[in-house]
Amino acid sequence: MKLVRRTAAALAATVVIAGIVRLRGTGGVPPRRGGWREIPVDELK
Amino acid sequence: MRVTVIGMGAVGGRVIDALAADPDVESVLVLHRQPDRVAARAAQWPDKVQLRQGGPGQPASSGRLARARRPAVAPGRVPPSEPLPRSGRAAGPPGLVPLSGRAAGPPGRVQRSGPVPPSGQAADVTVIAEPAAVRRSALAALEAGSHVVCPVDDPIDVRHLLELDAQARAAGRTVAIGTAMAPGLSCVLAAHLVPRFARVEEIHVASLGTGGPACARRHHAALAGIAIDWADGAWRRRAGGSGRELVWFPEPVGGADCYRAALPDALLLAPAFPECRRITARLEATRRDRLTSWLPMLRRPHPEGMVGAVRVEVRGWNADDQPDVRILGAATAPAEVAAAVTAVTARWAGAGRLARLGAAGLAELVEPTGKFLADVTRAGVPVSLFEGAGS
Repeated sequence: MKLVRRTAAALAATVVIAGIVRLRGTGGVPPRRGGWREIPVDELK
Repeated sequence: MRVTVIGMGAVGGRVIDALAADPDVESVLVLHRQPDRVAARAAQWPDKVQLRQGGPGQPASSGRLARARRPAVAPGRVPPSEPLPRSGRAAGPPGLVPLSGRAAGPPGRVQRSGPVPPSGQAADVTVIAEPAAVRRSALAALEAGSHVVCPVDDPIDVRHLLELDAQARAAGRTVAIGTAMAPGLSCVLAAHLVPRFARVEEIHVASLGTGGPACARRHHAALAGIAIDWADGAWRRRAGGSGRELVWFPEPVGGADCYRAALPDALLLAPAFPECRRITARLEATRRDRLTSWLPMLRRPHPEGMVGAVRVEVRGWNADDQPDVRILGAATAPAEVAAAVTAVTARWAGAGRLARLGAAGLAELVEPTGKFLADVTRAGVPVSLFEGAGS
């Protein structure tokens, strides 16, 4: 019974930690240089 | 030019408005399962727009039948057992992806009655802006002698349509696949950037936002599906919702985390750029989207998403043999982008301006890309260039 409880606790902890890791943080950093410029129609031709 | 439009949702309605306002378009026949629901909107163009119940390849009021005959695959999920060709070109005609056995009915049994207006003249172009029975609709339109324009974003639908390449060539018609924001504008942006390189190594597509309710359901399903990337000459399957990457979209959208998802961009770009080593597509998602992607949608999708953006990054080597990065994007509501790209594609198809016959994505069909992007910009979707990202 003790083994079952420990296994269940370990699984629960794994799920919680995996969920936190999956949901938190960001996928990188913003660009440090450059920016967007709208292209006029004449330039596209 | 006579046009048939199937479906009148967030995208279809705008396509109809754009085409009805075009002096080169003689008539627009709208096929809808419940015409009463859209009669008021169609009545805005009483001289040009006719409304009829039904859709190509299906008799009137048989919408349920059409749904029942869809391939037995959940939207956005590509079964791991299905073979993908090692190369789009290696499988035969460019872009042809074998999905035999999962087709929605044999080609020869499709009724011809759909895209033929009551006058008896077949439409020059058929726009399929309806997510159900796309392949059957496309087949019926081809058999009636019409070019086909499909703003689809489901990988299964895209693969079914790519299989129509031989039939479309034999019929002397074009099936333009994925004429939405991504795929669609993303394919044209990639094709516009590639000639700037001596050698292209990587193409990365990212998109944000959804159009109408059908698009929102696809977004939800895509995050739980299997992403298909092109890597080193082979298809690579990765779990949807993985591979988080912060992507900087044009203003006013800015930065957003994007993830792998069941998106068809690589399926359409790989045949167009077989020399490219790596092609990926990512989709913006919130933490709640990722957490709940494996569940049914917890609430009804919104009528239309008003914020959207697409970004295409191409990496390679320039003429001086130096590494180079070029990025194009657009930030407009997805349904507006999809409608603008679809309407321009329909005009180009009707005027015989698309680059080749057969079934393919816009990266293969649009030439010159600059003129196409100029037409899209005039339709209200400005294109932006990210400056300062080069080597």
